[in-house]
Amino acid sequence: MIQLPTHRYGLIFRLVEENDAAFILGMRTNPKLSRHVSPVENDLDAQKSWICNYKQREARAEEYYFLYTDMQNQPLGVFRLYNIDGATVTSGSWLAERDNNALDSIKADLFLTSIIFEELNFECCMIDVRKENKKLVRYHKMFFTQTGEDEQNIYLEMRREGYMRKHKFLTDIIDPK
Amino acid sequence: MNIETFVKEFAEQFDEIPDEPFTADTLFKENEEWSSMTALLVIAMIDQSYSVRLTGDDVRKSLTINDIYTIVVSKANA
Repeated sequence: MIQLPTHRYGLIFRLVEENDAAFILGMRTNPKLSRHVSPVENDLDAQKSWICNYKQREARAEEYYFLYTDMQNQPLGVFRLYNIDGATVTSGSWLAERDNNALDSIKADLFLTSIIFEELNFECCMIDVRKENKKLVRYHKMFFTQTGEDEQNIYLEMRREGYMRKHKFLTDIIDPK
Repeated sequence: MNIETFVKEFAEQFDEIPDEPFTADTLFKENEEWSSMTALLVIAMIDQSYSVRLTGDDVRKSLTINDIYTIVVSKANA
């Protein structure tokens, strides 16, 4: 299992706790940050309750909801691993504060990808991306293979070969040797 | 390699057409659309079109499109 919290690439990664509810809700109700995710009610108690239920799924190793912060513990973003089914996992629920100059969300994606394939030893990562989120579609198509689509979403998967290419590409950018 | 083509390829990484067209002197980080994701797509475009791998630091220390272009030229000729 992953040892958390952990420090990587100048960020701190840990699992979400109930007292993160206000931060998450703030991002989910910010129209600029959440325009490509499902809308939620601005209800802090409902968000806390959702996290309480999630913590039970986390305890059963069914789901992991990560939060990353800067080195001063200022929260910056979240992402989630769910639909764990044998060697396959789905990643999603990405939300991040704007980071104009720090490449923080790319660092977080590098961390997430490494966790999936190196520490949790999954063989396949699946995602779905809103078609209107054109940049994200272009980004994921660099490493993922499209497996389907519907009116709203594109569905993709990445296996270990894609992971290896992605890991090298992002490491060369974030942490060049 | 020329700066006019480079500016055009750089601008293509943005979804929205800005009010002021991009030029070599555009302060690209002031664009509303600039983000980690845009940076990564710019880096990927440069990797594909110019066979040059920029780093996060290259992007961090650049302010204008010309700053990025200068780094690409320098790395391509290294």
